[in-house]
Amino acid sequence: MNSPLKTAAPEEIIHPLKRLKSDSPELSPEMKLVQEALFKHVGKPIPRKEDGRLITGKGRFSDDFSLPGQTYAAIVRSPYPHARINGIDKTQALASEGVLLVLTGEDILADDIKPVPHNPVPSTNFDMKLRARDGSHAFTGPHYLLPSDKARHVGEAVAIVVAETAAQAADGAEKVMVDWEELPWVTDTAKAAEPGAPTIWDEVPDNVFIDTTFGDVEGTNKAFEAADHVVKGEFHIHRVTGVTMEPRSSLGSYDPETKRYTLYAGSGGAVRQKNELSKVLGIEPKDLRVLSFDVGGNFGTRNRVYVEFGLVLWASRKIGRPVKFTATRSESFLTDYQGRDLVVKAELALSKDGKFLALRSDNLSNVGGRAVSLSPLSKGSGLITGSYDIPFATLRARAVFSNTMCTQAYRSSGRPEVTYVIERMCELAADQLGFDKLELRRLNLVPPSSMPYTNAVGSVYDSGEYEKNMDRALELSDWATFDARRKEAATRGKLLGRGFANYVESSIGTPKERAEIEIKDDGNIEVIIGTQPSGQGHETSFAQVVADMIQVPVEKVWIVLGDTDIVSVGGGSHSGRSMRHAGTVMAMASADLLAEGRKRAAEIFGSTPDRIDFEGGVFKLRNSNQTIDIFELGRRTRAGHGPLRVVKDNEMHTPVFPNGAAVCEVEIDRDTGHVQIVRYTTIDDVGRCINPLIVHGQTHGGIAQGVGQAMWELCAIDPVSGQPLAGSLMDYGMPRSDTMPSFQCEIAEVFSPTNPLGIKAGGEGGTTPALATVVNAVVDALSEFGVKDIQMPVTPANVWRAMNSGRKAS
Amino acid sequence: MSRVTITVNGTPQTRDVEDRTLLVQFIREHLGLTGTHVGCDTTQCGACTIHLDGKAVKSCTVLAVAADGSDVTTIEGLADGSILHPMQQAFHEHHGLQCGYCTPGMIMASVDMVRRHDGVLDERTVRHELEGNICRCTGYHNIVKAVLDAAEKHRAAHAVAAE
Repeated sequence: MNSPLKTAAPEEIIHPLKRLKSDSPELSPEMKLVQEALFKHVGKPIPRKEDGRLITGKGRFSDDFSLPGQTYAAIVRSPYPHARINGIDKTQALASEGVLLVLTGEDILADDIKPVPHNPVPSTNFDMKLRARDGSHAFTGPHYLLPSDKARHVGEAVAIVVAETAAQAADGAEKVMVDWEELPWVTDTAKAAEPGAPTIWDEVPDNVFIDTTFGDVEGTNKAFEAADHVVKGEFHIHRVTGVTMEPRSSLGSYDPETKRYTLYAGSGGAVRQKNELSKVLGIEPKDLRVLSFDVGGNFGTRNRVYVEFGLVLWASRKIGRPVKFTATRSESFLTDYQGRDLVVKAELALSKDGKFLALRSDNLSNVGGRAVSLSPLSKGSGLITGSYDIPFATLRARAVFSNTMCTQAYRSSGRPEVTYVIERMCELAADQLGFDKLELRRLNLVPPSSMPYTNAVGSVYDSGEYEKNMDRALELSDWATFDARRKEAATRGKLLGRGFANYVESSIGTPKERAEIEIKDDGNIEVIIGTQPSGQGHETSFAQVVADMIQVPVEKVWIVLGDTDIVSVGGGSHSGRSMRHAGTVMAMASADLLAEGRKRAAEIFGSTPDRIDFEGGVFKLRNSNQTIDIFELGRRTRAGHGPLRVVKDNEMHTPVFPNGAAVCEVEIDRDTGHVQIVRYTTIDDVGRCINPLIVHGQTHGGIAQGVGQAMWELCAIDPVSGQPLAGSLMDYGMPRSDTMPSFQCEIAEVFSPTNPLGIKAGGEGGTTPALATVVNAVVDALSEFGVKDIQMPVTPANVWRAMNSGRKAS
Repeated sequence: MSRVTITVNGTPQTRDVEDRTLLVQFIREHLGLTGTHVGCDTTQCGACTIHLDGKAVKSCTVLAVAADGSDVTTIEGLADGSILHPMQQAFHEHHGLQCGYCTPGMIMASVDMVRRHDGVLDERTVRHELEGNICRCTGYHNIVKAVLDAAEKHRAAHAVAAE
């Protein structure tokens, strides 16, 4: 039985924004200083410090590393979506030229190599609590580096072959003979949850391992009964994949003398990799060093452990030589953690004057062969009501296993999906009930006066001016003069359509972060932090923050990341957490550093810390001409007090809610159904913006990924064979320079009250509304054909079919 | 095995290579010049773009033996000592890169484009001609800006030179 009450009433946690103000502690003088910092660098579009090496070919990506005596690994993968492994014969492979080692799932068990402890259920105080149907903690499917029982998706690794060269390893992999027994399979999300579907895990015969209901069921039912109108919609936000331009790569090395392992592998956070892989290998975390320097794109796909990372470490110990594995692009398409794949049935209740009264949503997430992360389902669950004040809502959130690659958080995890649903529902409601699309939205937007606003499933929106965003986006996009453009396009045989969407999203992320700041003798400041950029420019924007706090030029601040021998604690980079978490802890560390500096300066001046001022990087004894520069202070006090250095830990659970709006114009060719985006406009409230150059860049890339999903991208699977059909860049539609427009983007800054710098997040806002915005525009363009909805991606085939059937294309 | 000699960034390099060795493997693995990247195996992404006898080509689709006797420039050879090539400078100033993985290929392709058009470029042409280089981070917006800016500076420099 479903037990909504059990899950809807978790342990009592009072949201910080709902507490009485007197609860907040007094700010220290240093923290006040930090808050009132001059912001010389913060807010400025400073070009990035990391560019120098990347534009001259001196980046340090994972495959760029090689070690003496290095060997190469190739992986044997399942050709079937679901098949039992009755045995694996290594004989021929081991006899193949250059082959040194072959390992299988049987060897995993023999060596007691543990499953990857993915911990897929989000667990911060303000995450939605997902549970099994009976309210218990869910079975999520163990993830061994190599399975010994069966393969659960095409591409699942079942053996590793190590050889002297990469080519010999690939040759050897072809000679590993697996005795396969094909099993019934299911890949489709809705079908996997239907009665009688093939079972992926015996522990969960019906494949549905999460089934939780949130919200006020009774209140929602009453609101629906009293409603004048009910609008219904069904949506599939389909499966896509991250396509990081750098294929994943790992180089493992074991030193028998120190008994330590070293792994070079780009990821979303080296500390997580260290902690989880050390559990896999059954060693202490200190015995594994993980290095992750330049990372060629992440978008969520690299946040979790990949089996090959563990395999190269284990194999390296077995043969006593370093082992390297670099995925081909086809392997990336098959086995990079994928994204989205949510099926939603929604119902919206409205009064006769258009007020939203209640929402029901049934969300089914396809996690693939095992659960690696439930972040997408969880994130979306808290945001089903979108930017709108809907008094009652219930959500049934389910997750289902299937014979597909595992899904994971992907660019704006979970939020584009639910934004798509609520924004499509707005359009359907307006169309069916005769309201103006924009006025219906305005009528129902959460007003600034309601902030902090608790939505019907319990999420507390921290701040935002939603209608102002809407007005600004419409103005920037020249919404008012659309008709003239449409007439002009018609003269060229094109159908012009326009789409609009609001969005609000949540940024939570791993709550802990540590900053270490040291004043170096050479006149530089070193900052050690546990986030992991993959293009977000942390080396610049973080330096801007510290430079402002310690009041030195930004050139003097150096950010150290990505080596677990130096970075001990760190939550990595995901969910738009980095600037907020790192910025806050760096500000707190800076405050501590200044307090320590004040103490040391007082000692030198023979005074007390309260008589020391700090300005422009210089400590000064008040009402005197005695001053000392912070670097000089560090040098002079090193002998007596040690380095001028602080370590600060911080934990923040309170989510923030970036928000905004987007407008898209598309031109559709009447004859071919080809869609071209001709205008794209966004407004994003990111809270305080540290570096607008970088934030705009994040928005641009985010738009492209959202637009890509709406327009071309699809992890297609052949319904007859269960085989993935997108195995290379020739059969997966990517945004390219000639299919994307230039964008018009503006940043709005409504400071968040949840953290001292007022930061929200800037990494995902481009993506969140893009799916809805593009589809709204396409449906608008096709209105004369009676098209009311269309399945993404809006390929020419789908559009042509919609134009010629007047119904929802499939 | 075959012996090949390829001049890379001005220095002749002779190596014995397996016949199936790709030019990109020669550059990355035999010479250790890891600035040239591999992003796919189907000549789609352009991360491996270099200049072969002055023209931009995808080095994953040329055999090292086929490049014997040729002149190759990689991203490492583009700057003049510590002075960045104007295209590198433009990518930096316009934030035309994020993760930096596609960047070497983007820059090499763009340098060749400006050369071929003698700096006479518009947005449409730049977008059309960069279609064979995939970027996942930037949405191309700032890359296009960077290339147009570098093209403009190329034109200006040549106009001055012509006076």
